[in-house]
Amino acid sequence: MGKYIVKSLLQMVPVLFLISAIVFVLVHVTGDPVNLMLPETATEEDRAVLSKALGLDRPLYIQFGLFLYNAVQGDFGHSFHYGQSALPLVLERLPASFQLAGAGMLIATLLAIPLGIISALKRNTYLDLFISGLSALGKGMPNFWTGIMLILLFSVILGIFPVSGKGGPEHLVLPAITLGAGIAAQMTRLIRASMLEILNQEYIRTARSKGLLETIVIFKHALRNGLIPVVTIMGLQFTSLIGGTLVTETVFSWPGLGQLLVSAVNTHDMSIVQAAVFVIAIIVLAVNLLTDIVYRYLDPRIKYS
Amino acid sequence: MKRWYVQGFAVIIAVMLVVTGCGNAAETTNETQTNGGTASAPAGGDKTTLTIANATDIESFDTHNNNNTMSEAVLVNVFDYLLKNDAEQNKVPVLATSWEQVNDTTWRLKLRDDVKFHNGDPFTAADVKFSLERVAKDSTLKQNTYYKHIKEVNIIDDYTVDIVTETPDPIMLNRLSRMGAGILPSKYIEENGIEAFLKAPVGTGPYKFSKWTKDDRIELVKNADYFGGTPKWENVVFRSIPEASTRVSELLTGGVDIAAGVPSTDIARIDGVDGLSVEQAKIQRVLHIIMRMTEGSITADPKVREAIELAIDNQVIIDSIAGGAGIPTRTSVTPGNFGSDPSLYDTFVYDQERARALLKEAGYENGAKVSFSSAVQYKEVAEVVAAMLTDVGFEVNLEILEASSFSEKLNSKKFNELFLLGVGNSLFDASNNYNRFKKENAAGETDYNNPEVEELLQSALQNMDLADREKQYQKVQQQFTVDRPTIYLYQMKGIYGIGAGIGYTPRLDEMYYAEDITLK
Amino acid sequence: MSLLSKSQADGLSGKQPEETEGKWRHGMKSLLKSKTGTLGILIVLVVCIIAIGAPLFATHEPAKISPAQRLLPPMWLEGGAPDHLLGTDNLGRDIWSRIVYGSQVSLIVGIGAVLLSGAIGALLGLLAGFYGKWVNAIIMRVADAFIAIPAILFMLVVLAVLGPGLGTLIFVIGVTNWVSYARVVRGEVLSVKERDFVKAARALGARNGRIIFTHILPNVLSSFIIISTMSVATTIIMEASLSFLGLGIKPPAVSWGGMLSDGRQYLATSWWVATFPGLAITITVLGVIFFGDWLRDMLDPRMKSKE
Repeated sequence: MGKYIVKSLLQMVPVLFLISAIVFVLVHVTGDPVNLMLPETATEEDRAVLSKALGLDRPLYIQFGLFLYNAVQGDFGHSFHYGQSALPLVLERLPASFQLAGAGMLIATLLAIPLGIISALKRNTYLDLFISGLSALGKGMPNFWTGIMLILLFSVILGIFPVSGKGGPEHLVLPAITLGAGIAAQMTRLIRASMLEILNQEYIRTARSKGLLETIVIFKHALRNGLIPVVTIMGLQFTSLIGGTLVTETVFSWPGLGQLLVSAVNTHDMSIVQAAVFVIAIIVLAVNLLTDIVYRYLDPRIKYS
Repeated sequence: MKRWYVQGFAVIIAVMLVVTGCGNAAETTNETQTNGGTASAPAGGDKTTLTIANATDIESFDTHNNNNTMSEAVLVNVFDYLLKNDAEQNKVPVLATSWEQVNDTTWRLKLRDDVKFHNGDPFTAADVKFSLERVAKDSTLKQNTYYKHIKEVNIIDDYTVDIVTETPDPIMLNRLSRMGAGILPSKYIEENGIEAFLKAPVGTGPYKFSKWTKDDRIELVKNADYFGGTPKWENVVFRSIPEASTRVSELLTGGVDIAAGVPSTDIARIDGVDGLSVEQAKIQRVLHIIMRMTEGSITADPKVREAIELAIDNQVIIDSIAGGAGIPTRTSVTPGNFGSDPSLYDTFVYDQERARALLKEAGYENGAKVSFSSAVQYKEVAEVVAAMLTDVGFEVNLEILEASSFSEKLNSKKFNELFLLGVGNSLFDASNNYNRFKKENAAGETDYNNPEVEELLQSALQNMDLADREKQYQKVQQQFTVDRPTIYLYQMKGIYGIGAGIGYTPRLDEMYYAEDITLK
Repeated sequence: MSLLSKSQADGLSGKQPEETEGKWRHGMKSLLKSKTGTLGILIVLVVCIIAIGAPLFATHEPAKISPAQRLLPPMWLEGGAPDHLLGTDNLGRDIWSRIVYGSQVSLIVGIGAVLLSGAIGALLGLLAGFYGKWVNAIIMRVADAFIAIPAILFMLVVLAVLGPGLGTLIFVIGVTNWVSYARVVRGEVLSVKERDFVKAARALGARNGRIIFTHILPNVLSSFIIISTMSVATTIIMEASLSFLGLGIKPPAVSWGGMLSDGRQYLATSWWVATFPGLAITITVLGVIFFGDWLRDMLDPRMKSKE
């Protein structure tokens, strides 16, 4: 186990290097931030001066080298937009995003596990069709639509939850449902499929044919094994979850990483984009590793290679 | 079996329609709900927190290094200018008590001697010298271009300064009363550095910095020692809510007192709620369609440019897209700005027949191909303009760009024939409207070159005879209606939703002076 | 190869019967038997027909602006105009006609992106599987890198570079979705490579190309189709989210996502502007999901018994 973890951690190094390289190139061809930093009335001379001051006049590979050298030491450069170091700006957004992502994942899991199981057990019935319809709706309606609808219904008409912003736990409810709904839709489908697979396996059929009570079969045998892939599914959904926060945070003006990233891309704030992608990538890789470990732990058939 | 599908779908559709239907019903139902909501918030005299919702967060607390009105609108509560514009654009004293022009390149200002920064440091001439020279000398600051002709600031005594410019500057007072001219604490910044200052900014204004949760809110608290008397509000909160419908929802539920940038379709929805109101106010922003006159391009032909102006029905755009929130104009120097020509304001020309005829005369009866670029912000206007141009025989290649790509193309002058641009003017002076049409700046963009206009513009920049200067700019405006390097659609109005019990008259410069916002 | 992808690949590739004879006949039978499968294929067919025959179904020019007619409700509601079935949008354009034409963009983007990502995935998966060693290591690390960047973020950055457009959209979605294809193909190649008949074929001098076509492609086909149907749905939604963030299809082109995103401003006052394109997306996604389920059941033998 320990050897496997070390190996996985080592593999992350080239992955992170690749990510930095990809993002670095992308961000640099996006355009010259100097144009966006100066007023329209600025002259060519002004631009050249600012460009030099920011080190943007050097060749790209030197800029990348410098970037890597500094990034290794945790310095992603200054945000043009905020005039501060990029990494702390990114890190200070993490708690808000974690809260939202955590609550969203919780809601998604709570919805998806029962719905997925019911849907698999009642396969091809009215109920299954209805749940499929619900997941199509959840998947078909983008986050921003769900979010605006929830605000209109629960805040403006019913007055139960606050509209937007970050505050007490009540502020978390609507954005979390918004984020969770889309993920839940996808998870329901995957759990349904994985349950179907288990239900068809030899030992379950044997158990059934032996005349064991259906509920016992489901809970003792099918569910236990059926939920192992759910761990993987949750891990896989994590990336979409992070992606979903980009939109959800904008609708609810939630001060997390997503909003920071969207505005950084729009203002060509390279250092923030770099730092944020780096941090997100580390988190995603860590979550993936964690899922792998949990999966191995749950399913003893798998060897640590 | 088939009934199952039908039922399944019926249920899904019913759920959607109920939800959307409820949204629609908000117009009527929320009247009671919202009243309940605002009643539970401290109403009347004991309301002490003012909350204002904007579409964007501020750029930073560095008033010298921001380039957007929304940031400055917040910062004017923390930092003071030497003098400022009142609601009618008259210059009134703030940190300076009086000012006089010593000679063409020198202004002398007397300063207040009873002002303290929020950290207790006294305000003196040294702070003025530090602040103005910082913005004038540091070319990486976004406001530098507006101040770089300031040669130096001389301290005459603790409460008197001389501002010396390289060249005569007829609009020094306009510069000192706008973004970029905020006075910063020299001692605090020299001791702690600018980064520390930006984390815990200190000014002289009526409200002190308390907390900034980026992309969420800025919290300011009352500065009890404010030299202008005790401020009205205990706390002032600026929320950043990018999504327009979320902003309106916050207003409807009493979450914010003022919501900026209300979509015109939501006006009726807000007006329908008891106690809430909508204020529309002209702002310093005029929509331009800027045309490339470069030789070889189709818009180099004056007939084509005239046809474009005549093809557009400005009033229809204002009524439909802007919900009435705009005033048609044939100049960008609108009333309230130095040099404005009232005869070109609140008017437009529209004649489809003539436009078609002109295109024919120019030899384009089989369709004139133009490309037309716009930022996504003005997408709807651009779409309508494109449709109007198509109506008279243009073939429009509409290009809608997301904000940063648009800025990028704008600053690198890469647009083809036409582009749509909203141009603001925080200087309240015509010079600012014509920067991009001066020969040097126009090269590569419009390639506009009328020596007579160039002569007028150059001379007006340093003309200290204000009456003559005004005439120069009026001449330029008249000439623009003939040359048409740009045409104008309308002066925009800001639409603000105002909560129950709040008295607020929006300003032309879009600043939120919390001290001018009252409880009714 | 990480376990995550191994389990994923196993679940998707399964152990296929290598014969394809009679598969399609069997498929048609099972299709008729499966209620949801029939429904799914019907929806998909209807959407395709509408997309192909758009001019026949549209009642108006989809981009025709008439400010005087803006925000008319659907014809059955009070104030609706009889010639605007589903009402008009903020610029007075007919919503029904826009949905009809929007189906083209959704399908082109959906299918185009899936083809592109399938092609990239297949190629990289084959390379990784066949050559192993450092080729494999590089390709799999690149795959990990793509997995670790949320797709929408990657698209945001790329679209900011290339500028939005139909081609760019397909390119971006295609480039970000290849990883699952690559993993499936690679897994299949690895298992096939070890089988005796392939070893024998190689020993007899069979070329890689032949092995790929006769032994590997048939085996990954079903996994491919299953991943693809899932991706088509994701792609359609992706386009909507990109529109929301300001990077979707630009006018005068029409897309469902763009309509939904533009209409959100009017949700409280004119619900129909955003709701009908939303319904169009939902129904299409539902159809694709049902269709995909059926395909999966049909192609994966372990699933068949219950039919």
